[in-house]
Amino acid sequence: MTTDRELMHRVATGDEPAFTELSNRYSARLLTMAWRLLGNRADAEDAVQRALLRLYTSARSYRSEWAVSTWLYRITTNVCVDEMRRRRSRFVLQRAAQEEADGQGLLFPWGGGHGGGGAQNLDVQRALDRVPLEARMLLALRYMDGLSYRELARVRGISVNTVKSQLARGKSIVRKILKKGGPGRRTAGASTKGAE
Amino acid sequence: MRTHAYPGRDDLENLLVVHFRPVAAGGDLARRALLRLRDGWDTERFAGDVQIEASERGIIRVSPGGAAHPPVSRAAKRLAERAREELHDYLGGRRAFFSVPIDFAGTRPFQRKVLELTHRIPFGDTRTYSWIARRIGHPLAVRAVGTALGRNPVPILVPCHRVLRTDGGLGGYAFGLDLKTRLLGLERATPVLEGCATTGIVCRVGCPDAMRMREDSRVVFASVEDARTVGYRPCRTCRPGAAAGA
Repeated sequence: MTTDRELMHRVATGDEPAFTELSNRYSARLLTMAWRLLGNRADAEDAVQRALLRLYTSARSYRSEWAVSTWLYRITTNVCVDEMRRRRSRFVLQRAAQEEADGQGLLFPWGGGHGGGGAQNLDVQRALDRVPLEARMLLALRYMDGLSYRELARVRGISVNTVKSQLARGKSIVRKILKKGGPGRRTAGASTKGAE
Repeated sequence: MRTHAYPGRDDLENLLVVHFRPVAAGGDLARRALLRLRDGWDTERFAGDVQIEASERGIIRVSPGGAAHPPVSRAAKRLAERAREELHDYLGGRRAFFSVPIDFAGTRPFQRKVLELTHRIPFGDTRTYSWIARRIGHPLAVRAVGTALGRNPVPILVPCHRVLRTDGGLGGYAFGLDLKTRLLGLERATPVLEGCATTGIVCRVGCPDAMRMREDSRVVFASVEDARTVGYRPCRTCRPGAAAGA
């Protein structure tokens, strides 16, 4: 099988079949990450398409010391993060308009859509919505594709120690929220006892 | 617990693995990305054709073509050249703000208020005609706001393309709705805050200090606060934390 790096070098020469092959290898993982971060499939597909487009147009600046997967995650997280910024800004404006109209704020500012799954998944999603963005992104990459601390550090341009502390912080927030979840959610909370 | 067992992981980690399990991707994401590429717009040519006029205080006119009056002084010429460079970077997706000043002296008071407020709408955001009317203290003057923006002498630099109708419709644009759509699309595809993984500094996209950044050092952030949480500090040249919008 052609390696990712070989495909990437062909993409840099404008080889569209190589681009399609490489995209097909990673699109499920990239879509999952974008979906979990952005909360709905339509926005996630839009983000992944923009990331793939960026991959294609910036393929010449790809450097072989990067694993292609890491390179792709960097590009995709960059697109998703900017989308989150836009949402926050939109939310601030909507809240101001609503407060002006009736003196009330909006609930669930961003995210809020959920990519399917049962009640437990919804609990996890709600808990993750409370995790600061950078830590949430690291959790997504870590538990979706098993990225190592080093790879995570490279994707977000941060130190390995920061990766570790952000992951621990994110998990601690999720754990606390799941524990508070009430009788219907006790399984998740109780089962995490003694973890870490 | 109905999760699968993952040796070596605790129960919370197992929950997260299940939560983040890959979803089925549509097989045509690559094809759709390529379709977007083919819808390309020759921004270099557009930026080259734009005519820019300046006074010594700032830019007074931007028009999509035709002849411009010669600059009145060297200072005015320098400002016009700076505006062209910034416009060029903006259209190429390398700039998320304009630093060149605008000279509103030739506009009437009502239009000036509208344009000054529009000038502060942040990159990538949108507002409505009625929002502007309310903010300038003339809530019933929605149509007059539309007219003032329709006669905007410095389009793009004063981003009247970021003003839409209350129902989400595009409204009007002196240079055609196609250009308005393209500018909004361009701003959607251009990030605003970018950190350099090598220096640990976060800048506004377009900051001269960040222009030499290598492609593999670019890390996008959603806010300066987010960047701080992972050890980045704001740039002292472009001061991203201080940039405030309308």
